[in-house]
This record gives sequence, structure tokens and C-alpha cells, in this order.
Amino acid sequence: MSFLQPILLIGLPLALLPVIIHLINQHRHRTVKWAAMMFLLDAKKLTKGIDRLRQFLILAMRVLAVAALIFAASRPLAGGFMAGAGGNADTILVLLDRSASMEEQNLETGESKRSSALAKISELLQKTSSRSEVVLIDSATLEPTKVTDLKLLESLPQAAATATGANVPALLQAGVDYLATNASGRTDIWIASDLRNDDWRTASGNWQSIRADLASNETVRLFLLTYEQRSPNNLAVSVTNVNRRRTPSGYELAMDLTIKRTSPSGENDDALNLPVEFTINGTRTLQSLTVAGDEFVRLGYTVKLGAGDERGWGRIDLPADNNPSDNQAYFVYDEPPVRKTIIVSDDQTTASTIATAASTPVDPSTRYEAKTISPGDSAQIPWDETALLIWQAAIPGEESAEAALLRQHLEKGRTLILLPPPDTNSSEGNALFGNQWDTWADRTNTPASASWWRTESGLLENTRNGTPLPVDKLRFFKTRSFSGELQPILKLEDETVVIAKVLTETKGSLYFWGTLPRTDHSTLATEGISFFIMTHRSLAEGANSVSKARMLDTGPSALVGKMEKIETSESESGLISVGLVPGAFKNESDAENQLLVALNRPVTEDNPETLNSGAIESLLEGVEYRRISDEVGSGSSLAAEIWRAFLVAMALALLAEAILCLPPRPETKPETKPI
Amino acid sequence: MLGGISGRHRSPVKGSSLEFAQYRKYVPGDDTRRLDWRTWGRTDRYYLKEFEADTNLRLCFIVDTSGSMNYGKEGGKTRLDYARSLAGTLAYLATNQGDAVGLMNTSPESAMKEIPAKRGPVHLKVLLDQIGIMEANGESELISTIHAAAEKIPQRALIVIVSDLLFEPEPLREALQHLRFRKHDVVLFHLLDREEIDFQFDRPTRFLDLEGGPSLLADPSLIQRRYREAVETYLGQIDEIVNQSALDYHRVMLDEPYDQVLARFLLGRNPKTARSAR
Repeated sequence: MSFLQPILLIGLPLALLPVIIHLINQHRHRTVKWAAMMFLLDAKKLTKGIDRLRQFLILAMRVLAVAALIFAASRPLAGGFMAGAGGNADTILVLLDRSASMEEQNLETGESKRSSALAKISELLQKTSSRSEVVLIDSATLEPTKVTDLKLLESLPQAAATATGANVPALLQAGVDYLATNASGRTDIWIASDLRNDDWRTASGNWQSIRADLASNETVRLFLLTYEQRSPNNLAVSVTNVNRRRTPSGYELAMDLTIKRTSPSGENDDALNLPVEFTINGTRTLQSLTVAGDEFVRLGYTVKLGAGDERGWGRIDLPADNNPSDNQAYFVYDEPPVRKTIIVSDDQTTASTIATAASTPVDPSTRYEAKTISPGDSAQIPWDETALLIWQAAIPGEESAEAALLRQHLEKGRTLILLPPPDTNSSEGNALFGNQWDTWADRTNTPASASWWRTESGLLENTRNGTPLPVDKLRFFKTRSFSGELQPILKLEDETVVIAKVLTETKGSLYFWGTLPRTDHSTLATEGISFFIMTHRSLAEGANSVSKARMLDTGPSALVGKMEKIETSESESGLISVGLVPGAFKNESDAENQLLVALNRPVTEDNPETLNSGAIESLLEGVEYRRISDEVGSGSSLAAEIWRAFLVAMALALLAEAILCLPPRPETKPETKPI
Repeated sequence: MLGGISGRHRSPVKGSSLEFAQYRKYVPGDDTRRLDWRTWGRTDRYYLKEFEADTNLRLCFIVDTSGSMNYGKEGGKTRLDYARSLAGTLAYLATNQGDAVGLMNTSPESAMKEIPAKRGPVHLKVLLDQIGIMEANGESELISTIHAAAEKIPQRALIVIVSDLLFEPEPLREALQHLRFRKHDVVLFHLLDREEIDFQFDRPTRFLDLEGGPSLLADPSLIQRRYREAVETYLGQIDEIVNQSALDYHRVMLDEPYDQVLARFLLGRNPKTARSAR
């Protein structure tokens, strides 16, 4: 338990005063010569039971009353966590979820989840841990910041609002790493988060090591300050796939516009007419959209561009609601880049099939190119222009220049598909991001078909109207397995994974395809719809980073090079420079290749699903933690003073003592018989 | 009272005094000289005329000299002093009216445990000297002394017991009934102090047993209620015993002047009062 005046606890031994007085009183007895010992012996014998207990209770009540008075004077603190806290820690690690969803506000108080968490932790630490070293690690930068003045915790730039996503396992890992590299002593870790599923990334491989580190460290206590409540009728807007198209009358923008609507109950039956403001290159127009149900999705929503608006930026604004951070979506546009595919292969059949698919335009206003290069001529690959690289050759060695170029390709946000080299059958080979080819399986006699494929996202995602791709019609005659940390996209009946995405920390996408679009390997080419769509989806993923108008997620490394602000939603220059707030930016340094960048929060921030208690238990299995569920604007304190409770306890103890001191019944004196 | 000489006390034996007592039918063997011839003349039946016989009193004191009789306020009179005053005064009064007076104390260590009942001022001096020098110590031997008195005193006598009776009351019942069986007239002075009954102490006290037992440290506030209950029970038992034994019982508080106590006792010995009391 913590106290505001712990020095007064020195007086706690005074609680023994009643006992000492009792003992002194016993010691200071007088002596009398007595004749009627028989009555004394009888009385003493009878008094051994309940009367002694009563006397003991009286003494205990007196001790309790004095102790309660001293405790009350020491101004004890209590709160949701206090039962588990046992004094000041040497180090307090505050792990702050700065994701966009933490900006949900209580409109009455104007407090957000983030500011509320900071205020309460700050108040608590000021009261209880004024001598502890406080270190803040935020989810946006993952950089530890020592807090020298707890009163300034809320106003630190590292604790300010951002429109980023959060990676809670990475945040916890940063905390664990800090503990490992610093002599932190006894440490309290406070995690302030809204428990969003997408931020907590339950599938992350980091959790196992985090659990092991925390469970083995007995000097660490973990506290979760959670804000999982959903704000009523919150609207969030996002925009993707912004393409400038030429029309007979000029240009227009086509975009996929999504407005998500959430409520605590999850039921949104009534239609909502929304005034939505579109700003393009500073010119504002207002349009009315009707949102029915949970989500408004308009694919290919078109906006006419005015003369001279061939390239530029734009913003979509929703009316103000509980979360201001998800009411805006920025976009930039320019002439669509050439969607270039490079196929590194000696297999002419495979290469020509892929080249045909990749160079067939799906958007008439965009140019598509595909080129085949022999693995021996990989130096000819135009890395800067390539959106999709298909590599049907042995994986280069880890230290080779080719491997470094492949990793760089992915770092830029491009797409890389690895196809199995047909002329080898060895399970021994090089690995890329820990993934490598295994052995071939010949299924010619009993062709395999797909038993499962990922339909909610990825290359085989259902079409926009929800229709699944005809993946079930595909047949596989030869497949090659691969191993590593993968996210399966397509599985066969025997659970063999044929297509998978590699989980990397790069911006780009890396896929393993365990078969070839050849008739002796599969029907990918003959049943060409799925193959065509997968190829173009891969190409589209990589094309964004090739374009001069790029739409990126906010993050500390989102803005590379010398970027200047066109417009942002925030005015804090510190946050803008590190790309933590949404906005439109341009690179003025290169006049010919001027780059436009739109930063928005990750779309996963709009998913309102939160972890339940069971999921948290599972994630932190074996780790002792205490969870405090709070609500924005609740007014409750993590460290409430409870001296009144001790005064009440003292009063009750004195009352009990008085009752116990009362004679059990009125005394009736024995009559003395007159002679 | 049954005595060897004629005295001031009424004898239970019908004798030759002048005070008529009753008529009784003649039975063979009666002294024919006591026949009332006038009644024979009137009724033609033989009756004897009986008269009250006056006799002297044999008074025997049994004084409890156990250690508890040393109880008393510091610097004041003890319970034994009070017993001395009662016994000495009664002995003086009895001797002056020609009665024989004896004494038994309960102390086994006493050199003169028993003084037989005799008359005369010389004997009174011996007895008063003995009352003056007797000391209280040890545990109470009152019960055995009463039994011994019942056996040793040959003729009916007035036995005055002076004690605090601070022992288990039940054996007292048998001892008193033993005396009554021997036709003795028994008077019991029960000497108690108010402090022993009320038990008014305000702080822890070590109680030293006057009869030599182990001392006891007690918090009076803790045991006061139970103590009073024990006293109440004890006094109830004493009351029941004396009622059954039909003796002359006097509960005396030590703060009462002993002359008042004696006055009440002597008035209670008035023949009319005594008869009605029995």
C-alpha cells in the first residue's frame, strides 16, 4: 500500500500503547491480604472462557483504533491496482498505445483514451512513485524517453496524439529490451491500450519470448490500463486505390471509399445521411452520402478533376464525432506509373505465361509491361521501375549482392514472388527471410485440388461483390513445399501449402508459389482467372511504391527523404517530421520527379474488435498481471485517498470497544442479611 | 436450660419450682407424692401437677481461629478481634448471672484448645485470658471442632459458634445437625466484611491467602461479576443450611458495632421471642 505521508507510519508502534498500558497496569498491582479466596478461585475458573475473550477483544479494538488513526494520518492510497502493488518500484515503464483508435473521446470532458490514461498514470505516479525513474515508450516510435517531471508526462511530444497503428508485442518487446539493457531494479510496467485486436497482433511470434521474459523476471509487475469501450456512432473514413483516369472531357479520380460506422451494441440499422467534404488541391466540395448498416463501401467512386489538376492531393472529411483522428483521409494522385513486371527465369513456358498475364491491362489508362530476364542476367533488372519481380531461380545466398537487392526491393514496398526452380529437387538451399524451398511432390496420377484458401484478404480474396474466386477448379500435378514463418494463402487436401505470404517487417510483399503455371504442373494457366487475378493483385501491391503519388500508412519511417508539408491535420512540426500524423506531402528537391505522399492511419485502426479477457489471459499466460478497466471521463482515480475509510474503521473499533465494555447485565448486589 | 444447680434459666426438665407448667395423667411408677388430690376429688382420676424447673446455663463458645479470621482493615480490628469482643462480653454476662462458661477454639496449634464450662469469676478470668491470647492461623478446623464439641459436652448446652465460615458449606450442615441431635441450643455468628461481598477493587490486585494458600493475581474488572455470583450462591447455601438446622443464625458485618449485635441477640433470646422463633 502507498501513503502520501509515509513518515507518519513511524508512529505505527504506538498502536501497541493499549497493550503496554494494560501490561503496566497488570504490573502495578497492589497486594492485599484476603480471606475469601474460595470465591476468587471460583470466579477465576469461570472467567477463563468468554470473559477473557471479551477482554482480549476490547484490547484488540483499542489497538485497531490507534492503528487506524495512524493509517488515516498517513493518507493511504488505494485504487484498482493497489491490492497488487506493494510499494514504490525503482523503475516505472509506461508503454503507451498511441494508435489512432486511442483518440476516441468523451465529448463531455474532451478527454481521449490516451490523454485519460496519461493523466491517471501521471497522477498515480506523482502520488506513489515520486522517487522512481519513469520511462515512457510509445507505440509510434518504440523509443524510450525518460520522464524527469511527471507533471509534464501528458504534454511530452512522445505522448502526443498520432494517427498511427500500434504493434503492442513490439511495444512490449521494446520494454523488455529496455529492462535487459538497463539496471532497472524493481520495475512496474504499465500498458495503456484500448485492446484493439489489430494492435495486439495475437498471431505475432514475439509473444512467446515476451511471455518467457516477463514470467522469468520476478522483479517486474505488469499492469494493464485498458479502455475497451466503444464510442457511440463513430464514423471512420478511408480511401484506397486512387487512380487518375482520362475521360473524354478531361480527368477524373476513381477511388475506393469506405466509411465504417461503429456503436457499442454493434447494431446500426438506421440509415444515416452524411455531409462528406471533398478537398482536392485546396478546393472544397460537399457531397451527401447515405450510410446504411455498419459500412459504406463505394468502389470506384469518381470525382471530376478540374483543369490543371492533373496531379495533386486531396482530403475527405467527415463531420466531427467521438474520434477526430479517423474523420479524415488524405490521398495523392498523379499520372499512373507503368506497371512493370520482371520475370527472372530460364523456363520460357512459365515466363511467357506470366508475362502474358502481367502485361494484359486491367485499367485502360495504365500501361503494363512484362520482361523476362535470365537468372544469369539479373544485373539487368531495372530495380527502380519494377513493381513485381517474379523469381524462378535458386534463392541467392544470404550474403550475396542479389539477396541484398531482393531485400531492398521489398524494403521499397515492391512485390516479390518466388517460383520453384524446376530443375532442382534438393531440400538444401539458401533461405530468404528464413524461408526456403523443400522437396517436389509429383501428383500427376492423383491431381490435388485446393481444400482451403484465404478469402478475407490477400491474393485470393473474394471479389468486391463477395464472390469467391474459382480456386476450387484448379488442379495441381506437381508442387514444391517450402518452410519458414509463413501465412498460408492456399492449401491442398493433404494440408500442403501451395501459396503463402512470408511475414516480414518490410513494406513490400514476399510470396512463395509452390507450383508453376505450366500444364504439367497445374491448371493455373488453363483455368486462368485465379492466376490472372493473383498476378495483378501482386502487381498492384508493388505499383504503389513505384508511383510518384504514393499513399502510405503513418509511421516513423513513412517519410523518407526531404519531404515538405502540403497539408496535415496537425500543426506539431515534430510529429509531422516523423510521419506520425496524416497529411499530404511533397518532395520539392527533385523538380522533375516530384514525389507526392499521402499519409493515413492504417485501415486496421478502423476495426473496432477488441481482445476479450480470455485472449489476454492466453497472450500473457504464465505472466502475473493486473488489469484495470477504465473508461474515459469516468472521473475515477487510480490512486484514491482512503483515509476516510480508516477513520470509519477507527470509529467502528471504538464503538465495538464501548459495547464490549458494557456490563452484560445490570448487577444485582447480594443481599446482606441483617442480624 | 439443663444445669446442675438452680439458676435463672428455664429448664426443659419439669421440676419443683413455683411456676405451674401442666397436668399429666398418672402412670405407674410416678411419685405418688406429686398426685394432685384436688383434681382426684373433683374428677375421680389421677393427675400429676407439673411445675417449671429453674436451672443454670452451660454456655460453650466455639471460636474459629483459622487464618482467615485475621482479615480486617489495615490498622483496624480484625475479624478475630470482633469474635473476641462477642465471646468475651457474652462470657462476662453469663458468669455474672451464675452460668457456666466454656471455650473451644479450632486451632490445632493452640496450647489450650478447650476450657470446660465452669462458673465463677476465677474461671471467667481464665477464660477471658484465653480469649485474649488466642491467635488465628492455618486452615479452618471448625467442622471437626463442632463434631468434637457435640461428642464432648455431656449435657444440653448453649453453644455459640463465631466464625467467617469461609469454606465449602456442605460439611457444615452435618456438623450443625450433630449438635442439634445432641439437643444443644446453637447460636451461629457469621462474621463477614462488606468488601468480601461487594468486591470493590479498581485495579489489578495480588490477593494473599490468609490461610497460607498460594497467592492470586487478578484483574477485578475481569472477575468481579463472577465473584459476586459465587458469593451469592454461597450465601444462599448457608441460608438453606441454617434454616434446615433450626439454629439461631446471625450474619454480622464487621462494620456493625458489636454491642448492637449483642443487643439484638439478647433480645432474641427473650423467652416469648425465643419460643416463637422455634
